[in-house]
Amino acid sequence: MRLLIFTLIFFKFFSPVNANSIYYLTKIPNLQIYNLEASNGIKYLKAEKSFTVGIVKNNVQCDEPNENYIKNKFKIIKKNLDKYKKSFLNKINLRYVVLCENLKVSDIRTAGVPNIDVKTLIIDIKSDPKYFERSIHHELFHMVDDSYKNLFPQNKWNEFNDSNFQYAECSTCSNRSNLSLMKSSNGFLTEYSMSTASEDMAEIFSFLMTDEVNLSKIILRDPILNNKVNFIVGETKKIDNNFKFNK
Amino acid sequence: MIEKVKQSTSEKLLLVLFIILGVIAIYIFFVLPQKCLFIKDNNPKKLSFKNPENIAILNLNCGNVIIELYPEISPNSVKRFKMFLESRLYDNIAFHRVIKNVLVQSGDLEFGKKDSFNYLYIGTGKSGFGTIDSELNEKVEFKMGTVGMARTNKLNTEDSQFFILLEDAPLFKGEYTPIGKVLYGLEILNTISDDHRREYVLRPDFINSFKLLEN
Repeated sequence: MRLLIFTLIFFKFFSPVNANSIYYLTKIPNLQIYNLEASNGIKYLKAEKSFTVGIVKNNVQCDEPNENYIKNKFKIIKKNLDKYKKSFLNKINLRYVVLCENLKVSDIRTAGVPNIDVKTLIIDIKSDPKYFERSIHHELFHMVDDSYKNLFPQNKWNEFNDSNFQYAECSTCSNRSNLSLMKSSNGFLTEYSMSTASEDMAEIFSFLMTDEVNLSKIILRDPILNNKVNFIVGETKKIDNNFKFNK
Repeated sequence: MIEKVKQSTSEKLLLVLFIILGVIAIYIFFVLPQKCLFIKDNNPKKLSFKNPENIAILNLNCGNVIIELYPEISPNSVKRFKMFLESRLYDNIAFHRVIKNVLVQSGDLEFGKKDSFNYLYIGTGKSGFGTIDSELNEKVEFKMGTVGMARTNKLNTEDSQFFILLEDAPLFKGEYTPIGKVLYGLEILNTISDDHRREYVLRPDFINSFKLLEN
């Protein structure tokens, strides 16, 4: 017991100070303000140098973004996040968006890392440009899901699929990583949708936000997808009745 | 008869060297540790205030920090804060979280008391009066010297802890409850003991007294 107490004191007092007020809010070191002008209240921050963060291990890492690159990417990010009203963002606990390059979780590249506890979404501005816009909404949905676990239960979601279908244990536990729209849907929009229930939901949400017209055609010939889309729309409306997809 | 011995040049140089070393030693061991040496104290009796009922005097080792409270902006939080000041509950409480040139934080009434300081739980203590709702304001800028209510990472969890900014923090606007600003003595807050390697201070400075001007 005494050893445990000493260990806790050691970690409390010997964790390094990351001296700025942004760290006080986001618990991410080495950030600076990029833009505070968004009408929906999102505060855009950028990495001024590489950082590593994590609760147990520092397993999330990201690098300082290239100045010229960030200018172009910021316009795209802001255009997409401007689709969300402040009232909705408050409900899903999104306040800060961190822009950086080469974002990795446990050394695996990822497009974004959401964290509702610190109201922060980290976005890799160098993630695949082909899916970049959609990935913003995909990652944002994880904040929706994390904030309202009771509205998006995985067991209920599994019932939409064929009884013999099984998701993988985790999103990186399988080789189902392709983000392209599949020609034959069979209940799934992309190969990545088949990785986990949570990623499946996020993929549908991202298409609802970026390609609703195409999605509405697909669901006409796929009853499973139709049910899934209706479920995402219905549950999202429970969070905010005024929410509009693909505004 | 005593013969007068004249000092050689090298002896004179040696003497000068000793004097210089002595001056440096005095400066290092006696002058430098006196962190209050060049700090101006503020005597509230010699100052006049527009709303003296909203003035709080924070007395630290280096002198008085004079704070104006914002009852119009954050009425409930200021009411709570004034209650603590009137009860003198902040006296002898540690500045347990100090980020040099960024902010100082104090007000842990449960674990931050001088005679019962708890290293393990400091920063997590409760006042016993329960939490109050956040009073966020999109208009009040969090400039250097702003006093705000501290909270957990969730809103509406403010209790007794407060922070004072030592730099502008635009991101705090709409995120924390502003309860006042430092009118005089910001430089005194910069003398509060910190540790550049960590946020939580192993040997913290304590508040001597914190009370309302018209207490």
